[in-house]
Amino acid sequence: MLLLLLLSVFNAVIASVAPRSDYHERLLLRPLPQSALLASFNFRSNETSTAFEQQNFRHFPRSLGQILQHAHTKELHLRFSWGRWDADSWGQMPWNGAREGGTGVELWAWVEAGNEEEAFARWLTLTNALSGLFCASLNFVDATNTVRPVMSFRPEGDHTNASRLHLLHGSLPHEVVCTENLTPFLKLLPCKGKAGISSLLSGHKLFDASWQTMSIDVRPVCEKGGECSVEIEQGVDMALDIERSKRPQDNPIPRPLPISEIACDTSKRYNSHDSCFPLATTADPAWSLQDIFGRPLKGACPLTDTSPDLGYSVCINVPQERNITVHPEGQYSESRSTSPELRCYKPPRNTDFDLHLPSQALPTPLTHPTPPLFASRSINGHGQERGSIRAVIRNPSPTSSIEFSYLESLPWFMKPYLHTLRARIVGSPEDPVKEMYYRPAVDRKRGTHLELHMLLPPSSTLILTYDFDKAILRYTEYPPDANRGFDAPPAVIRVLASSETMGREQDRKGIYVRTTSLLLPLPTPDFSMPYNVIILTSTVMALAFGNIFNLLVRRFVGFDEVAGRGGLVGILRAKIQRLK
Amino acid sequence: MAIDRQKALIFGAAVAVRLLLFTTFPSLPNLLAGRVEVSTPVTSFKRLQEGLFLYKHNVSPYDGGVYYQAPLLLPLFSLLPDPSYFPFASNVLYTAVDSLGAYALMQIADSMQAVTPRLFKSSRKDLRWSSVAVAAGYLFNPFTVATCVARSTSALSTLFILVAIAKASQGAGITFVFALSIASYLSMHPILLFPPLLLLCYDVRASKAKSAPSASRFAVSHTAGLAAACGLLLYLSYLLTGSWEFLQSTYGVRLLLPDLTPNVGLWWYFFIEMFDSFREFFLGVFWLHVASYAPGLTLRLRKQPLFAAATLTGIFAIFTPYPSIADAALYLSLLPLFRHLFPLMRYSFLAAAAILYASFLGPAFYHLWIYAGSGNANFFYAITLVWSLGLSVIVGDSLYAALRDEFDVERPELRGKEVKRI
Repeated sequence: MLLLLLLSVFNAVIASVAPRSDYHERLLLRPLPQSALLASFNFRSNETSTAFEQQNFRHFPRSLGQILQHAHTKELHLRFSWGRWDADSWGQMPWNGAREGGTGVELWAWVEAGNEEEAFARWLTLTNALSGLFCASLNFVDATNTVRPVMSFRPEGDHTNASRLHLLHGSLPHEVVCTENLTPFLKLLPCKGKAGISSLLSGHKLFDASWQTMSIDVRPVCEKGGECSVEIEQGVDMALDIERSKRPQDNPIPRPLPISEIACDTSKRYNSHDSCFPLATTADPAWSLQDIFGRPLKGACPLTDTSPDLGYSVCINVPQERNITVHPEGQYSESRSTSPELRCYKPPRNTDFDLHLPSQALPTPLTHPTPPLFASRSINGHGQERGSIRAVIRNPSPTSSIEFSYLESLPWFMKPYLHTLRARIVGSPEDPVKEMYYRPAVDRKRGTHLELHMLLPPSSTLILTYDFDKAILRYTEYPPDANRGFDAPPAVIRVLASSETMGREQDRKGIYVRTTSLLLPLPTPDFSMPYNVIILTSTVMALAFGNIFNLLVRRFVGFDEVAGRGGLVGILRAKIQRLK
Repeated sequence: MAIDRQKALIFGAAVAVRLLLFTTFPSLPNLLAGRVEVSTPVTSFKRLQEGLFLYKHNVSPYDGGVYYQAPLLLPLFSLLPDPSYFPFASNVLYTAVDSLGAYALMQIADSMQAVTPRLFKSSRKDLRWSSVAVAAGYLFNPFTVATCVARSTSALSTLFILVAIAKASQGAGITFVFALSIASYLSMHPILLFPPLLLLCYDVRASKAKSAPSASRFAVSHTAGLAAACGLLLYLSYLLTGSWEFLQSTYGVRLLLPDLTPNVGLWWYFFIEMFDSFREFFLGVFWLHVASYAPGLTLRLRKQPLFAAATLTGIFAIFTPYPSIADAALYLSLLPLFRHLFPLMRYSFLAAAAILYASFLGPAFYHLWIYAGSGNANFFYAITLVWSLGLSVIVGDSLYAALRDEFDVERPELRGKEVKRI
């Protein structure tokens, strides 16, 4: 008790004399169509630049801060993603896609260095250190999957020395994201997943979601007075299927409900006690935080600001008519200040907090904003010799045309033929490609870097195709599951300008859309045959060489001119005879 | 004249067949250009188009790993309109290349160096086919037609090899050196043809002149000429591309084999299955093996240098890193010059059967491996082994026939009798 009192007095003293460093966290819940739920966790903390350089870390995680200092990285964006965002059903991605990454691990950073080689060396230091910190195979990010994008990424922070900064981007589409990546992520948080909204995150539910992204963004922020600080923003976005998440952990197999619990369509002629056609449920399903996440929210994190108008860390975006019951009664506070459809709650400390939403049929569903672009990409062609990429990008807006950049970073064993690149807008003869940046691949040294700047008129679809050849690799370059194929990273599309946002201040984060990654089956040799191949080829070569050598070196004699004294003795005698 | 009419007929028919195939089947060139037996990474027309595209857009084609061919092809082909939209010009170019090659082959046949070189008069010298028949054998060989329709750049190096042999068999030293340097500039291995062709040129000069020219001066001057011509071509390429990085792509690819695309040769599967620590050793061994045939054949067949050169082209068809049916077509077209050796060959049926077998089953097994997925790489690899064995049987058998022919002149009493080699 005394210890607690002393600690709280100490904390208060520190808070008053220490330079400003604050921590905010927020969970935004938004039900999506077809009984899905989007949960966006966002954790943000600041550290002044002076404190950062002196390594006085308070809320900023020391492990990450020291890595960034050692690798001279001024801005870092790291993403762990899995699943696919269904843009047709769910609309626009959270944060406009700025906090999403391609399947697997995606990392881009602005590294300060004097020249390209130094920047690359520091990039390798960064990836190796991050690989250890996050238990992810980021050490496999090397020259073959690193590119230097030209138009697809802009710094989000305020940099003083922009000429010495080099942007490098690496991706690992084959990397599987799982609990071993979530645990270090949570350890970077001040409350370490033990209190506040981070206590809801568990590997079982997060990696069971239809789509999830974990993001870490570190950037310098300078205010208009000169005081600069380093901001770290961590986020977890997930799109959960409510029915699937409610399945208890010990009984995960979906079983059909007993017929008595199903609402049957009684108008069907076969409706009886043992055959039932289920009615389409138009009501929103019932769920609670504990059901969905599998564990309760263990009270508020004490480090969130305690002033009365901050600390509303749990927000839910539902129509006004939706009933929500909050547990525990009375110890929370609710606010609807920003919008009637957004309710924010301030959970109490040291008590489990839960939100219950009963099943309810809503007259007006929530509107979801449409994304600026719909993009998909696939491989055409059959066989393991060649194929072609086909990307379909659609602009749904009837009024605004969109300019965007399309970045493809392909592995070196996909050899694209740029002279076969055809970009056409369906129904229009004009060429949508305004600018193209291309760096060809070199076998085993670097991959293809293709960036296109394109313009898409309103309500139109763009189809981009190009051919590529598939290379056959060396025996040791295939992974153990060689016949599965190799992964090609997703294409990154950044909306540069659209006619409706022309002139307005653009959000620094940018608007991004990513396609899915591609599975590329390559021709495989027979892995059981190295010795056999070597001896067979050597045999053929020896047969040919031996035959020709014999012909060239030996001389002809008549058949019966050589005295045929048989055997070894005869041969030796003949040789001695010749020497004489 | 009957000969001229025959010539016009043969050439006209060959040009007609090629242009007909180009125009009646517009997708046939791309289909054939995609077949591994016809086009290899260092001769593919699609990669040439990619290199042209990059060259026209001021990106160095050698910065990447797609274009592996010689730099001077780029300005040559950029004079033609874009082959994707207007292919007729490139079709005419390749038809012309084939016709010029056939004309060079006729010059070789007419020079009679195949049957009566300076130092050797074959006892069967009356058994020969006319030059028109030899040219027809080249023009209507299905391998040659396929290479032409696929527009593979090995047709160009075949042309320059044939021109080099033709000029050497006529004694025209400067043209011979220049043609051979272009051929080696395009694909590295024709440089190994220099020793036998130098001997051939010397023989022809000596038989035409009153007194034999000094051998050492002749050799030195022509070697220096070859070096100068190759150096000039490399320097022009350096000026064109702005740096020496094209050497890594054009010649480094053949030496170090980074691209392991399947072809009809023996190298690709061997180096796929090879572990990394032994790669350099075996690359050296394979190249040494190829290079070792040139001095051996030249020395032993000093009296028949044209036959040595022809046999060397056969060796190239089997043992170079990226062979295709074009190399086999070159060798099989040079063989009819030596009709007088055919009665002495012992395994012609076996070899012909093996070649036909491999030609038909090769595409089938490749399809099974790559497209149907029901076969694996070993099927196609076995076919490449049979193809190589078939060609090496022909090479060995013709070499035996040539040596037996020499022996028959040396010891006429043993003609037709069994002999032994000791």
